[in-house]
Amino acid sequence: MSGRRAIYLTSRREVREGLRSRALIISTGIQVAIVVAIVIVAGITGGDETNEYDIGYVGSDAKAVVDEARSAASAFDAEVSPREYADPAAARAAVDGEDIDAAIAGRELIARTDPSDTLTSLLQSSSREVRGSEALRSRGLSEREIDAALEPPPLALVEVGEGSGGSRIAFIGSLLLYVAILSFGIAVATAVVVEKSTRVVEVILAAIRPVQLLTGKVLGIGLLGLCQVTLIAVAGIATALITGSVDLPDSTAGAAVLVVVYFLLGYLMYAAAFAVSGAIVSRQEDVQSASAPLTILLIAGYLVAISTIDSPDSTIAEISTFFPPLAPMVVPGRAAQGALPAWELAVSIVLMLAATVLLLWLAARIYDRVVLRMGAPLKLRQVLRLAR
Amino acid sequence: MLELDELSKRYGETVALDRLGFAVDEGQAFGFVGPNGAGKTTAMRIVIGVLAADAGEVRWRGAPLDAETRRRFGYMPEERGLYPKMAVGQQLAYLGELHGMSDPRARESAALWMKRLGIAERADDKVEELSLGNQQRVQLGTALVHEPEALILDEPFSGLDPVGVDVLSEVLLGVARERGVPVIFSSHQLELVERLCDAVAIIRAGRLVATGGVAELRAERAGRRWRLEVDGAPGTPAWAARVAGATPLGNDVYELAEDTDPQGLLDAARAAGPVTRFGPEVPTLAELFRDVIGRDSEREAAR
Ligand SMILES: Nc1ncnc2c1ncn2[C@@H]1O[C@H](COP(=O)(O)OP(=O)(O)OP(=O)(O)O)[C@@H](O)[C@H]1O
Ligand SMILES: [Mg+2]
Repeated sequence: MSGRRAIYLTSRREVREGLRSRALIISTGIQVAIVVAIVIVAGITGGDETNEYDIGYVGSDAKAVVDEARSAASAFDAEVSPREYADPAAARAAVDGEDIDAAIAGRELIARTDPSDTLTSLLQSSSREVRGSEALRSRGLSEREIDAALEPPPLALVEVGEGSGGSRIAFIGSLLLYVAILSFGIAVATAVVVEKSTRVVEVILAAIRPVQLLTGKVLGIGLLGLCQVTLIAVAGIATALITGSVDLPDSTAGAAVLVVVYFLLGYLMYAAAFAVSGAIVSRQEDVQSASAPLTILLIAGYLVAISTIDSPDSTIAEISTFFPPLAPMVVPGRAAQGALPAWELAVSIVLMLAATVLLLWLAARIYDRVVLRMGAPLKLRQVLRLAR
Repeated sequence: MLELDELSKRYGETVALDRLGFAVDEGQAFGFVGPNGAGKTTAMRIVIGVLAADAGEVRWRGAPLDAETRRRFGYMPEERGLYPKMAVGQQLAYLGELHGMSDPRARESAALWMKRLGIAERADDKVEELSLGNQQRVQLGTALVHEPEALILDEPFSGLDPVGVDVLSEVLLGVARERGVPVIFSSHQLELVERLCDAVAIIRAGRLVATGGVAELRAERAGRRWRLEVDGAPGTPAWAARVAGATPLGNDVYELAEDTDPQGLLDAARAAGPVTRFGPEVPTLAELFRDVIGRDSEREAAR
């Protein structure tokens, strides 16, 4: 039998058992729900909502201004509800009593202290427009001429830099990668030690070579992970598009691809190490302590990622980009915020590939020597000696 | 023929195997016996390839055993091992495939062996839901499902009830006789080994003490042991001491030195009283085992 078939069979077993496991399906469901919820909540609390203003007026001149403000409101992300008052004193009392946000009476704009800039500029520009058109009309200009004079074509808006959408995607991306690499890495370590503690590994290794078993296991569990990450990423982006709750920056698609790429590289590198952490112990209880260093590295990567969300150009973010154990959590976030030069990405991927290949090779050597060994957990020094 | 040739293995200071060698013919039921720690498990693991020998070689049909050939062997480790959460049928089919069968053939063979081993109705149950005895049957199934060319079983009978022992004996003999497969198994139940096996190897402290056909080994010893009963005189009589070359072993059994004529023993006995029984004594395998192991350790002590 070819090695490829042995790897295919062992990875197929992992996929089948994974799909039958309720834990995996539930955790995938929960993570999809969390990401969808984050996207929706981001939409509700984000800065894009409209302001509603209740504006009072006294007299017909003021009414004209408020009516103008009402039609111009949408340009200010606002809505205006007019209310009529009999005299300035009543309007003033209403503003003071917080019944309305502001009032116009004669030549006065009545507002509470420190009114919002949006509100004042809306009302001031409306007033200017009304007065201006009155003045022009009195000079005998036609309505068309007045419109042309008062409503010149607006300036074209050129947006520069990334909006808040990029940092939100960076946050979700780092979280997703951290959770996925950690949970599937632990799954590999657990699967390895379960085979040891149940002793089934001896039966399997009577049929195939250790490196084939290791490869099949890492690939099978990785395939499950890839499906989960893709599903979550697609669910998050789809929610953003459908609800329109987050303005997706142009870098979203690229960031999503990088999330998948860095999951693959990060997972393979960490899975190799997690497999060794499972192989050097004999009991399931010992997996956690054996894999603690890996967990700490992953947490460190995640912390760097979220602490540099607002400063994706910082030195620490840049250094982490070139440090394979941290890069998976950091790089896609920087890319989402448009803060990742192409050469840095290329170097990072090359370093990741090199580290992954090295770790897989090392893991295969160590796994081969320790997987049938029972007894007390091995020390790091013993493990490294075995790898020689 | 499966040959173990001068296998040696050390664990640090412990010598587990010391130039161990013997041969097993195809179609033979072969018993592998020795006291605890003798090296049986170590030797079997080396044969199946999960452990590497420090020196020596295993040959199958004259050629050194390689991974591809080993994959066609069946193995039951001393420490039983199955995936606890995998269904019985799937587990057997999976192992069939790992040992080189195609998917449909593995499934077919798994179903067949579940029927033969009496666990057909548990096919869809998880292994962990089975009783220990039934798990043992599944374990045996994993060794048999891919129609192995040779079977290496480490203490397959331990933990089985008498019915289970009968089922397993029948299966093993069937595989050996009908398909010409060598079946090597280790066991501490020497009566069972005597009943089932064509040949045995007895080892102690990693070294071979005796090997050969069960009948031949027993007959070989029989040539020098005689049972002689004198009417009315149980126990070791005084006259026996006067027969040169005869050593009383108790229970009316005497061992004669080489070149000693048994008729001399008979004459001396008849002088003492009426002889009711006289004939060669064929030792059981258990007696033979105690005997050769005891003698071997004496020799060891003398060195
Ligand atoms: N992993 C190991 N590390 C150190 N010593 C070992 C190891 N495995 C076996 N030994 C030693 O090698 C010798 C042979 O052990 P082995 O398990 O082969 O004996 P055995 O004949 O199978 O015994 P039993 O009848 O009790 O199963 C023993 O002295 C044992 O202590
Ligand atoms: Mg043993």
